[in-house]
Amino acid sequence: MTLLQNVLSGIFSAAFLGAMLRVTTPILLPSLGALISDRAGVINIGLEGIMLSAAFTGATVGAYAATAVDPSIAAWVGFGAAIVVAVLVALLLAFFHLQLNGDLILGGIAINILGSAATIAIGYQLTGGRGGGSLGLAGVQMPIVDLPFLKAIPAIGDGLYTILGSQNIMTWISFLSVAVIWFLLYRMPIGKHLRAVGENPDAAASVGIDVRRVRYLALAISGVLAGLGGIHLSMGYLNGFTRDMTAGRGFIALVAPALGGGTPFGTMIAALLFGAFAGLETRLPSLLPGVDIPSQLPQIIPYAATIIALVIYSYQRTRALTARARRFEQQRKQEPAPTPSGPSD
Amino acid sequence: MNTNKQKRVIIEAKAVTKIYPNGVLANNGVNLVVTQGEIHALVGENGAGKSTLMKILYGLERPTHGQVFLRGEPVQIANPQVAIRLGIGMVHQNFMLVPSFTVAENVVLNTEPTRGITVDTAKAIAQTQALADQYGLQVLPEAQVDSVPVGMRQRVEILKALYRGADIFILDEPTAVLTPGETRDLFAAIRNLVNQGKTVIFITHKLREVTEISDRVTVMRDAQVIGTVNTNESDERMLARMMVGREVFMVVNKPPVKRGKAVLQVRDLTYVAESGKVALDNVSFNVYEGEVLGIAGVEGNGQTELVEVLTGLRAAAHGTATLDGKPVPSNDPRAAREVGIAHIPEDRLNNGAAISSSISDNLIVDRYYKAPYSQHGFLQLEQATQNAQAMIEQFDIVTSNAENPLQSLSGGNMQKVIVAREFTAQPRLLIAAQPTRGVDIGAIEFIHQQLIDKRTEGLAILLVSADLQEVLKLSDRLLVMYNGHIAAIFPDPTAIAEEDLGLYMLGAKQQSADDMEALQ
Amino acid sequence: MTATDLTTLNTPPSTRRSRALLWMLLGIVLALIFSVVLTVHVAAGGITDAASISKAIAAPAFTNMLGMNVLVGLAAVLFVNQTGWGTLRVILTVGAALLIGFILMLLISHDPLKAYNALLTGPLSRTNRWGSWVEDAMALTLVGLSITLVFRAQLFSLGAEGQIALGAMAAALVALYVPPLPLGIHIPLAVLAGCAAGFLWGMIPGILRAYLNANELVSTLMLNPIAALIYSFILDRIKPKSAGFTVSEPLTAALLPRIIDGTRVTTGIFFVIAAVIITWLIIQRTPLGYEIRTIGANIKFARYGGIDTKRTIVLAMSVSGVMAGLTGVYLALGIHQKLILGLSGGLAFEGIVVALLARNKPLAVPAMALLYSYLRVGGPIMQTDASVSLEIIRVIQSIIILLFTADGLIVFIQARRTKPKPPISEQDAAHIAEGAAAQP
Repeated sequence: MTLLQNVLSGIFSAAFLGAMLRVTTPILLPSLGALISDRAGVINIGLEGIMLSAAFTGATVGAYAATAVDPSIAAWVGFGAAIVVAVLVALLLAFFHLQLNGDLILGGIAINILGSAATIAIGYQLTGGRGGGSLGLAGVQMPIVDLPFLKAIPAIGDGLYTILGSQNIMTWISFLSVAVIWFLLYRMPIGKHLRAVGENPDAAASVGIDVRRVRYLALAISGVLAGLGGIHLSMGYLNGFTRDMTAGRGFIALVAPALGGGTPFGTMIAALLFGAFAGLETRLPSLLPGVDIPSQLPQIIPYAATIIALVIYSYQRTRALTARARRFEQQRKQEPAPTPSGPSD
Repeated sequence: MNTNKQKRVIIEAKAVTKIYPNGVLANNGVNLVVTQGEIHALVGENGAGKSTLMKILYGLERPTHGQVFLRGEPVQIANPQVAIRLGIGMVHQNFMLVPSFTVAENVVLNTEPTRGITVDTAKAIAQTQALADQYGLQVLPEAQVDSVPVGMRQRVEILKALYRGADIFILDEPTAVLTPGETRDLFAAIRNLVNQGKTVIFITHKLREVTEISDRVTVMRDAQVIGTVNTNESDERMLARMMVGREVFMVVNKPPVKRGKAVLQVRDLTYVAESGKVALDNVSFNVYEGEVLGIAGVEGNGQTELVEVLTGLRAAAHGTATLDGKPVPSNDPRAAREVGIAHIPEDRLNNGAAISSSISDNLIVDRYYKAPYSQHGFLQLEQATQNAQAMIEQFDIVTSNAENPLQSLSGGNMQKVIVAREFTAQPRLLIAAQPTRGVDIGAIEFIHQQLIDKRTEGLAILLVSADLQEVLKLSDRLLVMYNGHIAAIFPDPTAIAEEDLGLYMLGAKQQSADDMEALQ
Repeated sequence: MTATDLTTLNTPPSTRRSRALLWMLLGIVLALIFSVVLTVHVAAGGITDAASISKAIAAPAFTNMLGMNVLVGLAAVLFVNQTGWGTLRVILTVGAALLIGFILMLLISHDPLKAYNALLTGPLSRTNRWGSWVEDAMALTLVGLSITLVFRAQLFSLGAEGQIALGAMAAALVALYVPPLPLGIHIPLAVLAGCAAGFLWGMIPGILRAYLNANELVSTLMLNPIAALIYSFILDRIKPKSAGFTVSEPLTAALLPRIIDGTRVTTGIFFVIAAVIITWLIIQRTPLGYEIRTIGANIKFARYGGIDTKRTIVLAMSVSGVMAGLTGVYLALGIHQKLILGLSGGLAFEGIVVALLARNKPLAVPAMALLYSYLRVGGPIMQTDASVSLEIIRVIQSIIILLFTADGLIVFIQARRTKPKPPISEQDAAHIAEGAAAQP
């Protein structure tokens, strides 16, 4: 009883919710990237590699810039460089697939290997082969958005401040991105073209939409979003780059759009769910004091959740298809078949 | 309908010939004249060349010779965008719509009215509504396309063309997917378009529709235009004769039929497609030992579904099919094969073969797991090779090596590989769908002779073909399918007037249930 | 047509076969010469003069080394035999990727030539390095075979990582906890356990794909960390209390005997050879292999022909898991001789490159594994000798994938051209042509 209370109060505590938003950020951003490439019909398997490239570039360029300019400006320099690199890597994949006709999935896998290896290799050269990958320079951070006025709200003020009051700007950007992507997909002409290309490329081409160009754009945007996720990892969530720091988030992100029904807000809910599980991972031991939890159990949660989610989603989709077929059959039974009525002469 | 006779020519194809890169002649010196403000029906059998001609007019294909004129000017229609700019719109059989978009969104796609950086949805809806009102094309601009009925989707396609300023509308078999009520609505809409000065080219197989809606009709056959007539000066019999032709049916060297007991008995078989369309509608018939039962009909009238249900590729909604008294397994192709059903599929590249696999691999797909091809858990490759070599010899397949990939063969030889496999499966019933489509004359003759030989040996054969000559030549009895049901049964194909056959195939005639019962 | 054209056209198959045999013999002779030179070079630490030969022969385990090198040579011959002119494409692709890697190195290294020299000659400079190469190639062969099986069915799997971990765990548990048995029983028992673990772990994504149509790429990827965590969970439970690191007791039973001093080359080679042959047999000579090949070639045709496509998908994934599980067994019983964290070191992705370069032909896999392992072993040498990160190797790997599959463009176009895949028009048209031809 007390254990359960512990867990529940822990999960619904302001501190947990705040942490959940923090850990959701680097899942949500690539999830949106997966969403937009998915909607254009060019699934981006390379999110992981793009995230790593951006995480590394942001932290490294930022750190070097900090030696010349104010750290708060340097962070933004790193930010800009990271976005540029992320887009370039995404365009590499786009070129390979759209121009050279390469396999999109193998291309994505190659991008992931490239992102992982190149960041480590360049880091190694920059640090002169010292271990740990530390540049020996102070890391830079994206700014925290401090909202002290939240505290002034009666009753819930303190809790609200704990949840929202001191989040990294990247967290705000990630949730803002949900709205931006929604606006782009559903309100702007280019978003409509993008969805049309993903759903029925022949129809899109038949009204003169350049399918290939739209897909280039979709992959570039997914690159920006994955890049933002990478920036959060190395310049928000942590202070600096470590090898393979994405830890599979780029892959988890591939599942979120499907779970979220292919919409930005649905994807956000799915990402929050993954975030909650990831948050639980770090807090489970403290929530259950005295219980001997193997350290691996909470770590398994996000991955197991992804698989379970994938299974539920696939199961429902399969059932929806058979249900639809059954519905037609029933409809037919209700209304008797039209008897063939030709003139018989 | 228009009575004004001084219409000027709006679009004209002069001596258009189209030879595809593989040497196939699809249009042979075709002339088509369409005048402003008319409804011009274009009729012809499958493969008569209608689609190719329309693709040329819409810029999807370029003519090899000949010229298209628009309002008297020669034009080069390089792609559909050019066609659209010239005011030519096309409603494809499979709609070019984005399912999750609203009607209005589909209508304005890629030419969206904007306000700032956003799509002006209100304006799009208003424009769609205005256009719909003007032409009497009733649609729900704010409804999502995948939730509206097929008839409305078609109107959306017409609106799309109107929105882009089309004057000439090409409708490719527009009624094929419609219910009778929707067809009536469509015809009303077409008349409305014409009354407002638009021109409509209407492709169809259904003679009744031709007489109902068109002003003039052009009949195509064998890549050529047979003639253009004023509809009110023609009748269904005449059009049917023009379409089907008056070829003397080949005299076949065919021993008289020795009909045995019923092998396949089909009763009230019904299949509902995923789209909800009743593709197969209470079909009943028998196939007997030692006969070829032919199924004639314009393609897409339920033949494909019939074959796929009988071969275990699909499950029927209700009704039964029994082979030698035992039910035909449903949704289990191997079980269907094991009760003795062999199947030459109509789409040989997608279903009948794996073109990257070897000839010998293609020849054992139905038997690889049985002795002698598998023994002690291993494939016996020598057996597969021997099997292949025997078949290559017996069926005269031209290749240097049984291990060559199938794609190294010509179309005719590929089909012989499939025919060889299915013939040697020792079936009780052979279902042959379009067995000679797209193969050369030599292979056709060969396959026909094989079918006749097998039938004479006592095999029950169900032959489905869109090629009239073929079914008439081979069949001992003939069924005609129309719109998912059996329109007619002919106990003696040699005694059929081709004109009559045309009328049944095109839905203008229907035998009564009692007549058919008597003829089973 | 000229006379020569006619003669080649009319060459009877028997002549062609004997000609192929001749080439094969020539290849084998070359391979033998190569293996002798290679062995002498490695064993003697470089060939300088005639004395090198006697020095090499005097080296311990010279015969075994020579034997291994003969196998290396034969792998190359087998590869050429399997892929024919495709060999050239592999050489060109890898060459181009190495060139691009070199250009990258020009940017980041002070002494790129030294670095590349270390990379390309390093693995043969000492017996232990040569050993690392051969050991690694053996593991990579097994993973490559695993990927080959799924690729043949036109499926994807990135799950080898998890299957390796669990296979290793199962084998090690048998080695640790089954009371000592004769090696001849204990090793097969451990191998069986590892294979079973891989089979089951591979079956999960197979079932999800076949019956729920769940994307196998995502499911296999997610199963990897889960397997890794199960692995570390068990390892935590069985590690000796005193151990500072998460590492098991050294295995003492069921170890694969090492056959060359100073290396970890073991009798595992027999398992690898068996695995290559078995995979080839499965694919080419069993009903299951026929089913796998057929669903890979055209799944609609497979269904039409009566193949149970769902069962085939599950089995393809499971049998692939067996090969990955076997890799784990090899790593646990042959290489590490204990269980450590991160046992497989990212082998799954390397397996993809190997299978890709081998064009999914099991008999071509060993050569590509050797090729790729060579780079993998050269990497660390380059890092120590020239201070260039060994990760450059993985950069080159990604370039190989990109080049080799985009390069597939040519094949793709050729395939497209010979494959008459008409819209409606062509079939229609073919139909018409007959009619037209029949007319006067």
